Amino acid sequence: MSYGTTGKILRVDLTHQTTRVETFDENFYRLYPGGKALAGYFLLRELAPHTDPFSPDNLLVIANGLLTGAPFSTATRFTVAARSPLTLAYGESEAGGFWGPELKMAGYEALLITGCAEQPVYLWIHNDHVEIRDARAYWGKEPLDVQNAIRETHGDKLVRVLQIGIGGENRVRFASLTNDLRHFNGRNGMGAVFGSKNLKAIAVRGNTKYLDLAHDPKPIAELGRALAKKVKEHPQAWDLQDKGTPGLVGALNAAGILPTRNFRQGAFENVDKVKWEAYEKEILSARRSCYACAVRCKREVSVNDRYQVSSEYGGPEYETVDGFGPNCGIDDLQAIAKANELCNRFTLDTISCSSVVSFAMECFEHGLITLQDTGGIELRFGNADGMVNMVERIARREGIGALLAEGTRRAAEKIGGAAPTFAMQVKGQELPMHEPRGKVGVGLGYAISETGADHLTAAHDPMFANPESVGFKSASPLGIESIPARELSPRKARNYAILENWNSMEKVTGLCFFGPAPRSFIQVEEVVTAVRAATGWEMTVEELQRIGERATNLARAFNIREGFSRADDTLPARLFQPLEAGALQGVAMPRAEFEQTLTDVYAHKGWDPVTAAPTRARLRELEIEWVADLIEK
Amino acid sequence: MRLHLGGHLNWYDAEKRARFEIDLRAPTTLRALLHQVGVPPAEIAIAAINGALVEIESARVSNSDRVDLYPPVGGGI
Repeated sequence: MSYGTTGKILRVDLTHQTTRVETFDENFYRLYPGGKALAGYFLLRELAPHTDPFSPDNLLVIANGLLTGAPFSTATRFTVAARSPLTLAYGESEAGGFWGPELKMAGYEALLITGCAEQPVYLWIHNDHVEIRDARAYWGKEPLDVQNAIRETHGDKLVRVLQIGIGGENRVRFASLTNDLRHFNGRNGMGAVFGSKNLKAIAVRGNTKYLDLAHDPKPIAELGRALAKKVKEHPQAWDLQDKGTPGLVGALNAAGILPTRNFRQGAFENVDKVKWEAYEKEILSARRSCYACAVRCKREVSVNDRYQVSSEYGGPEYETVDGFGPNCGIDDLQAIAKANELCNRFTLDTISCSSVVSFAMECFEHGLITLQDTGGIELRFGNADGMVNMVERIARREGIGALLAEGTRRAAEKIGGAAPTFAMQVKGQELPMHEPRGKVGVGLGYAISETGADHLTAAHDPMFANPESVGFKSASPLGIESIPARELSPRKARNYAILENWNSMEKVTGLCFFGPAPRSFIQVEEVVTAVRAATGWEMTVEELQRIGERATNLARAFNIREGFSRADDTLPARLFQPLEAGALQGVAMPRAEFEQTLTDVYAHKGWDPVTAAPTRARLRELEIEWVADLIEK
Repeated sequence: MRLHLGGHLNWYDAEKRARFEIDLRAPTTLRALLHQVGVPPAEIAIAAINGALVEIESARVSNSDRVDLYPPVGGGI
């Protein structure tokens, strides 16, 4: 018997309106124990290469992590994956909230969804009862109204609804998914894949208790109690509760690594107007949480002034504050809060959306976009009203919004001229708001990540600069070294490979980046204990690392089969040029050292230095040699 | 002097204050000031006095100064 899982997968064919439950055995689960690993497995096994992301054939995998739903802090996340319409690569995005744990309670580890419904539908899952229902009345409606209507239909306020707004319906290539209105699978355009299948929502309610599935529930329950107490006693976890991610703005600005005006500068002259003290004073209305999480890092905001901002859709995270703020040259927190609310109502990824607006501003300032294109809007850096207007146009694909809804890379190719040099993207996905010229390991992650530029691929370099710091000491059981943030070297490559495996493990086990070391308060050994208690498996740090590494190799193999190579593991040219302002003014990413370190990373990963493909030998070590047969064809 | 404990550094203050004033009777080293307020030097990635970045080991502080301290910063979601 397997522990920690029901062993059930639900298949849904929207074209033929059929559903079917399958089961997997323990040997399978041991290799692919959730989230990113299940996603990679099924996308490689069942999706034909070069499938159009908007075709009915694209396979949507929604998978819980191994620990998702366990009653302790940060065990909340689930993965949504498909071929990405933004990157045409392996597409994946995680979210916290309440939906993943509810799916676990309903008895499923994963959903595999194919086909396209003739009319808009939603999927209703209530334990063993599965039903494809008419959603025509919900198409074009906002998430709040849809959630209320679905809950009313089923007579239960605890129904959890994962859904798209009009951004997903209109197939904006960076459309997100929302659950409970405030939690998002933001990246890679998974909302657009929902839209292409006429799938408006998936509503879930379940009654299984996680601890009834666990091999040994006691250590898990104890960990839950211990973490609830420890959150106040740990500086980083407490900081996430006190300030949330918007607390990063001031520190990054002081360090000269706050992306400003489309990554031209590393500090913003009006930062005081958008940093945490201003956020707390001017727009904060509450602190919120995910399922069973004591960290409570989520913010909720409310504005009733120059802009009207509803508290129903949460509050801007750090990425969003910087993306619609300094990176657009904007110092108006109310406008940033409004842009965030619109993105959340329309289900647009705030990172990609803010980045494409910033890109358009730079194009406008260089005369590549005109007043005629923008419908009379002076789309310069600093124009807050213009920025908010663009978000709405993108969601509706109106005017220039139709072009920007295609994402930065496609828009830049269409605009031509110097526009591609303003496109801050990797593999077609826009850069998150972290500056690789100050955090070179983050730059390696942007380049290597199978999903395009992503800031959760590996932990951030400044945490490992001082061997006595809380962050470094907590991660030292992983075998990393203390290294300066901007050093590019063989030992940085080694650290990167270790930390990438660890972060990938989080995406397989369903733990939030804000749970385990080094970013927060769950110690490495506590993760080992939790997995062991859930499954009954012998478990070690090394085995957890292999779980992460295996999942990354599945995603990498998917990309190799799609024709990606080392040439795609790169950074925008701007990052190899000097920063124009801030504490790191004049600092550029050194290209030769970057390329050499990339080669060194591949060596650690057992990947070919020319093709960037996993070698058969490494795949065999990871017990997935069948993958080599696929990519060597 | 005015002290700003950025990021998670105000966790180390008993009252969790991010900004407060300290009356320095005589100029002192930044390291001694950190000892006085209970912030471990290992948690500081950036120190600035009156807006200019300084090294913790060599910096000195006087009563008219504004000191900003920040920890090493990780990622955000």
